[in-house]
Amino acid sequence: MKIISCVKAVPDPSSRLIINESKNWIKDSDLTFVASEADNYALEEALRLKEKHTGEVIVISMGGEEAARVLRAGLAMGADRAIHLLDPKFKGSDEFTVAAAIAKAIAKDGGADLVLAGVQSDDLGTGMTGTMIAEFLGVPHASVVVGVESDGKSLKVRRELEGGINETVELPMPALLTIQFGINQPRYASLKGIMAAKKKEFKVWSASDLGLADNEIGRDGAMYEVREVLVPERKSKVEILTGTPEEASIKLVEKLRKEAKVL
Amino acid sequence: MIFVVAEQKDNKLKPITSELLVFAQRMSRDFGEPITAVVLGSSVTALADELKTKKIDRVIMADHESLRDYSPDAYVEILKAIIGQEKPFAVLIGHTTQGMDFAPRLAVGLRRPLIAGCVEYENQAGKLILTRQIFNAKMNMRTSPKGEAPYLATASPGAFPGDEVEVGGNAEVVSFSVQTAAASRRKVLERLEAEKGKADLTAAPIIVSGGRGLKQKENFNIIFELAEAVGGSVGASRPVVDAEWLPREYQIGSSGQTVSPRLYFAIGISGAIQHLVGMQTSRCIVAINKDAEAPIFKVAHYGIVDDLFKVVPVLTKIFKDLRQAS
Repeated sequence: MKIISCVKAVPDPSSRLIINESKNWIKDSDLTFVASEADNYALEEALRLKEKHTGEVIVISMGGEEAARVLRAGLAMGADRAIHLLDPKFKGSDEFTVAAAIAKAIAKDGGADLVLAGVQSDDLGTGMTGTMIAEFLGVPHASVVVGVESDGKSLKVRRELEGGINETVELPMPALLTIQFGINQPRYASLKGIMAAKKKEFKVWSASDLGLADNEIGRDGAMYEVREVLVPERKSKVEILTGTPEEASIKLVEKLRKEAKVL
Repeated sequence: MIFVVAEQKDNKLKPITSELLVFAQRMSRDFGEPITAVVLGSSVTALADELKTKKIDRVIMADHESLRDYSPDAYVEILKAIIGQEKPFAVLIGHTTQGMDFAPRLAVGLRRPLIAGCVEYENQAGKLILTRQIFNAKMNMRTSPKGEAPYLATASPGAFPGDEVEVGGNAEVVSFSVQTAAASRRKVLERLEAEKGKADLTAAPIIVSGGRGLKQKENFNIIFELAEAVGGSVGASRPVVDAEWLPREYQIGSSGQTVSPRLYFAIGISGAIQHLVGMQTSRCIVAINKDAEAPIFKVAHYGIVDDLFKVVPVLTKIFKDLRQAS
């Protein structure tokens, strides 16, 4: 089974995020980047499927040095090879252009039996890219997946719906799944894995390698323009209780009893 | 024209549909565009009749046996055909599990923009600006879709007040003739309701919830102790359940339980939108978090910005003392 696992580099969740000067993204020059959390669950699921069915796992990412870094981390976890979509022209991509380029790269690599992606990224968090790749590839998909079984030809997957309801669906392969947080416990890279990663195949493809024209990629190809990134105004009138932990706690209990009258 | 794609399950309109109608009604006033609700399903005349009582201009109903169960293939095929025929200005869809299952495919199929997870919109000199949340609702991004309409948008649950939907219309209902929708490649085999188990929080008057800020499973004891002292039940945010500190049944939020207690404590919970939609209607919300910028403070009534490991034990002691005194 050939499985391609998509991964996005995002700022480490503990980073302090500051809006950049042009107010269209965050200042990302000094940040540490890691794989978006849901993508780690997707890669772990890919590795488990390979262990069961044999085959190979390929990690793919678009971006600069930060993408190379998360790809190397994926190889260290156990992926067999990596594809890095690297081109200054990719800058300013949106979900649509990223999905189009990844779909092109998957096709160039000879297609896949299964493509996995995290349900949503930790930065934009809109949960669009994976499902868009499925449409570009013309394959069926299932989103918000919490369990995967395969007989090598088709998939039986459990999807998580709202209100704690799960549904089991069946779909033929090739297919794409977006993987929900918590489906498994992602492994850590072992020292051996980290050493082995250095010898694994690492392809770098540019826009022209993928046969993508300038108006299909980056800012020009994007479907929307970013006007501004801002910290939203607080609508609520939260009352912050100050002082030492003791003082704040006493004030809080007073408020809950006498003002809110909920105790 | 503004399209609202109604979301229904088992032939009942989901609450997000009212929120989308409010979004559309506001947008309609600002852009002078009429509203059409689109409903897909099998035997959905009653839903069309319900929709036409809202202040909208038209209902398009695609009623066919093959649409009984939701499937992305059928939804994409039929919506593509209706949108191609009607050429709306905007297409509003719920930012729900179902909406986000088909909207990205529809956008790619139409080669048109999709702005997902919208919480606001503006009319800037006739141009549509859509605002969505990024970085787990810590920041907003204002975007303008490029090129020709239609523009697709999904609305975050809870962003538009569904109870403010204006009624009093008598919209015309038009049938969209469905020959046979493409056979769905994805087939539903079974559907399982979650076990309510011992942690049914929907009726709890007081809930004490802990999040990732607790750092590890063992630390959750302080949440249980506070809950006991205040006479409440314990809840959790998604990361806690994903890390297996607590079973799934404790989870509050869009993929867990939706609660509305008299008093809700959010401790070490940053307040991702998925959590907020599950608890924001609580009567009184207390947030304890050391990050003053955490979005949970946007919905909280009272807040303490400090280390939860210092505050929670003190609070527990106060509640215990109060109990003994009374």
